Amino acid sequence: MLMTHTGKCLCGQVRFTIDADPIGARMCWCRDCQRIASGSATVNVLFPEEAVRYEGEMGVFRMIADSGNEVARGFCTGCGAQMYSRTVVPGGLPIRIRAGTLDDPDLIAPTAILWAGSVPAWAELDPNLPQHGKGPDSPVIETYS
Amino acid sequence: MASAYTGGCACGQVTLAMAGEPVLIRQCWCRQCRRIAAGGPANNAAFKTEDVAITGTLGSHAYVAASGNTLTQWFCPSCGTPLTAQSSARPHLLTVRFGAIDDRTGSSPRPRSGPTTRRTGRWSIRTWSSSRSSRQRRPLPLEHRDRDGGDMRFSYMPRACYEPWNDLPPAFRSRRRPPFWNFTQARLESRS
Repeated sequence: MLMTHTGKCLCGQVRFTIDADPIGARMCWCRDCQRIASGSATVNVLFPEEAVRYEGEMGVFRMIADSGNEVARGFCTGCGAQMYSRTVVPGGLPIRIRAGTLDDPDLIAPTAILWAGSVPAWAELDPNLPQHGKGPDSPVIETYS
Repeated sequence: MASAYTGGCACGQVTLAMAGEPVLIRQCWCRQCRRIAAGGPANNAAFKTEDVAITGTLGSHAYVAASGNTLTQWFCPSCGTPLTAQSSARPHLLTVRFGAIDDRTGSSPRPRSGPTTRRTGRWSIRTWSSSRSSRQRRPLPLEHRDRDGGDMRFSYMPRACYEPWNDLPPAFRSRRRPPFWNFTQARLESRS
């Protein structure tokens, strides 16, 4: 069933609607994500990029990620809330909406853990999820003895 | 000032230097923290306010929290990295987000307030590691996991159990059921 999903930042300056169902969800523990996510992993919900419509002023920070891809990260200039991550090069990848900005953050549960190689020692990962050492195409780390 | 910890934002516009050790280290799963922290919890280390030196331009946003206190949070206006926060009830403390603190092997702060692991909501696991030196905890052995990944040894009611009658020929299967068997099955159905 196709539904419209909504969300906003903490201060309400940025709002968005999504006219598509999520493609998937993943947690990313790369060092860049930990920095912008207050030390935790970013929880990212994947949507087709053309289905997402943002309203309100947003800042965009472009950088080369650990994967080597060029990514653009949107954030609210009023409260600093992280809104999305979009891969500029290579193109065609789904946009990654930060789960915390969705009005229903339980919309979809993460199904994989990315960049498990850089998880801090204190963090505990869900043992039921596959843990990729790096990006989604990297091999899964065998965690069970 | 000799700083015990250093840090900064993703683009390098803001740098932090913390002298001394954090007073409190906590993880916050409130809805506001999840909005700014991309869905997960905010991991916070509170330092004495006078121990934190900041260079660069900060953006700020304030709101009234559920506690009634006004919570002000600061971030980098050019990359959005959450950096610090302060409650109006505790002006002597300044909270620094973990992500903004540079790694330093053996000395990076970590949440520590009692050894518990709890599953909250549909997917998240909350963890506090009580030991500073412990590595990531070993995963729960398969034989102790229930179908939700929880520890069935501590479940109020077993969600999955050995059902010896299933090994019998079909004619004998429906003879004996344990007490509350239907209730257990109903719970199983509603969870899947």
